Amino acid sequence: MNHGRIPVLTAGIATLGLVASACSSTMSASTGTSSGGDAAVAVTLTPQGCAPSPAKVAAGHIAFNVTNKNADAVSEAELRSSDGSHILGEQENLTPGLSGGFSLSLQAGTYQISCPGAASSTATFTVTGAKAGTTWQSDARLTAAVRGYAAYVTTNVNTLISNTQAFCDAIDAGDMARAKLLYPTARVPYERVEPVAEIWGDLDTAIDGRWENPVTVASQFVGFHRIEQLMWEDDTLTGAPALCTGLLGHERQLLTLVTSATYSPLEMAAGATDLINEAATAKITGEEDRYSNVDFIDFTGNIDGAREVVTLLTPYLKAVAPSALTTVAARLATLESQLSTYKRSPGYDDTGFVEYSTVLDAQRRQLSAAVNAYAEALSKISTYVSD
Amino acid sequence: MERQNVSRRGLLLGAAGTLAAGGAGYAVAASQSTNTSDAGVVPFYGANQAGIATTAQNRLAYGTLNVVDGTSAADLRDLLNQWSGAAARMTRGELVGQDTRADTPPVDTGEAVGSLPANLTVTIGYGPDLFDDRFGLAPRRPRALTQLPALPNEDLDPSYTGGDIAIQACSDDPLVAFHTVRNLARIGMGVVEHNWLELGFGRTATTSATQATPRNLMGFKDGTRNILGSQTTLMNDHVWIGAETDQPWLRGGSYQIVRRIRMFIENWDRDYLADQQNVFGRQKTSGAPLTGSQETDTPDFTARSADGSYVIPADAHIRLAAHETNDGLRILRRGYSYTDGIDPVSGTLAGGLFFIAYMKNPAQFITLQTGLGASDALNEYITHTGSALFACPPGLTVSQRWGDQLFG
Repeated sequence: MNHGRIPVLTAGIATLGLVASACSSTMSASTGTSSGGDAAVAVTLTPQGCAPSPAKVAAGHIAFNVTNKNADAVSEAELRSSDGSHILGEQENLTPGLSGGFSLSLQAGTYQISCPGAASSTATFTVTGAKAGTTWQSDARLTAAVRGYAAYVTTNVNTLISNTQAFCDAIDAGDMARAKLLYPTARVPYERVEPVAEIWGDLDTAIDGRWENPVTVASQFVGFHRIEQLMWEDDTLTGAPALCTGLLGHERQLLTLVTSATYSPLEMAAGATDLINEAATAKITGEEDRYSNVDFIDFTGNIDGAREVVTLLTPYLKAVAPSALTTVAARLATLESQLSTYKRSPGYDDTGFVEYSTVLDAQRRQLSAAVNAYAEALSKISTYVSD
Repeated sequence: MERQNVSRRGLLLGAAGTLAAGGAGYAVAASQSTNTSDAGVVPFYGANQAGIATTAQNRLAYGTLNVVDGTSAADLRDLLNQWSGAAARMTRGELVGQDTRADTPPVDTGEAVGSLPANLTVTIGYGPDLFDDRFGLAPRRPRALTQLPALPNEDLDPSYTGGDIAIQACSDDPLVAFHTVRNLARIGMGVVEHNWLELGFGRTATTSATQATPRNLMGFKDGTRNILGSQTTLMNDHVWIGAETDQPWLRGGSYQIVRRIRMFIENWDRDYLADQQNVFGRQKTSGAPLTGSQETDTPDFTARSADGSYVIPADAHIRLAAHETNDGLRILRRGYSYTDGIDPVSGTLAGGLFFIAYMKNPAQFITLQTGLGASDALNEYITHTGSALFACPPGLTVSQRWGDQLFG
């Protein structure tokens, strides 16, 4: 459920107007790490200057490896725009004997290598031709990922509808116990693809809205959580069948929309981050399933959705950003190992987990740290998969 | 890196016009006038870490962090190396990093764009637990770095106690100080996690002869006799770790002790003036010791009044804290007033003194506080609710980094 954020995904609605001419792929030039360039350029700092070698490369991902050979008065190299006015990448704090570097994607054009303090403190650097594979559509690994994601979304929305139907059948039959057991199962597919549903904000509110978001008007509070409130807090099914009918209608509308939606790798990556952000804000607090306390199963839905995105993008990321992928995998492993300590069989209401309200504040904080670390790592893959 | 060019904040987004999405907002922010008028830059690199002997700034953001379970020594080292680079940049008024794309989260969180560094200092310290068996640092652990013993008049809240790593960010601009801790924690996400965080809104200590002594929340000047950063002999004798340490890598560093001292402000405000003055041993308005007329007059701890009692009472704070009554023991104080709003139980102000002190051996504080905690008249109005001890390494040269310095 979206808390007033602007949906990150814009599938089929609009496209992000990105026309970046340079992209830094290391988050901080000061780390001195460089990764996965198509071309490597050596920049040696000497008292005379910092001529790049080679001085001309083809457009694409370029790793600059900077070494200070013997220049006492020079300690950094910068890549600047052709007029020198903007720093696009840099490596600082290199005293004689040290090396480091940075990497980024460059389009065709003329650039400057700058090394303040040297006798000749600027050198020209040229990037030729068009960037190989100028759009993600030309990379088979990315197009396959996007196709896979579209199928994943559609499958989950279909499952959402059939699971909700079973849930509603129990409600129509007046079987509260069975409805309670089916409630979390019905929701999980939605939690897996929620950022997509959030594109259509009204639908998200109708399916997954909370009392306080966006309205505190009883008549406008509908969807899963209104039914949840009826069953767990008010202990009644009165009014639930009509709500269920409305819920199913909204889910079918969602299916129609997602079936014709198109996605991009950037949207997938941003959506994965969004899912884990969602876990960080709504699940850790127990806010989402406040009446039923089945938050753990929603939690696993969010993680499933993010994991699927990473899995689909893995063939590409393995090639272009192996270290980012390794970090994502490590953070996920940490999170999953924490979650596993709360698994029970059959668990609270057959969810496979303990009741969320039994998780102590200190344990929630630990979970929160693991969730945030995972989200932070996920947020860094978007740059590798966009044009 | 010789540039102390604060205008580089304006270069936030790299080549102008390359970022169609979101770029415009940043460009506007960067061209606006600055939030502070103080362009002062305190050098990050040097023999000692800045933020100890350097002139105390008005604002504090202080965070302790714990290393996440399962983190490798290599990951911790790499993070600390990144941190020293980022800290150096921020002290020069630069962003943590520059954004050249709109399809990735901004490298810097951005709230300090347009703010001058305002004398930002970033001081790191390492807690006793960092030297356990997790990272192979046990051989680098100084003998003096152990958990503080239980001390009198403390009621420690685990939420404000301990930590593997401490970051003290001080600036004359509160936003700049906060930005520093926030961004370092963000860079470290997954490797470190917040343990606790406190903001200080007014310095309570003076470390420079150019500064007037500020007042604490009780309205008193309580730092008149502090060691000043310029007093080299006193600094070497009492503050900087020297040849006496069993860990040569720490020479030029200092031990940092933090005590979050809750003041019962409402009770204090109801005490009559003469008693308030007796509690401290100073006049409230002038700051002069009860035996003198000027703030800087040396207290006469032997002076007695006609009835035979001490003019500066036997349990007065300045008597019990004085080096004259503690075998010459001294520490450098660098604390701040803090508040966390309202005590949820009592509805009273939850604030006091965020005490930070530097010394060459933690035993200096332990001895002082054992005496103060047992008989200080001030104890009726305060209790220590948070506590931590950290070993702050010496300063870095421009070619050194924190991780390499720690791991050797």
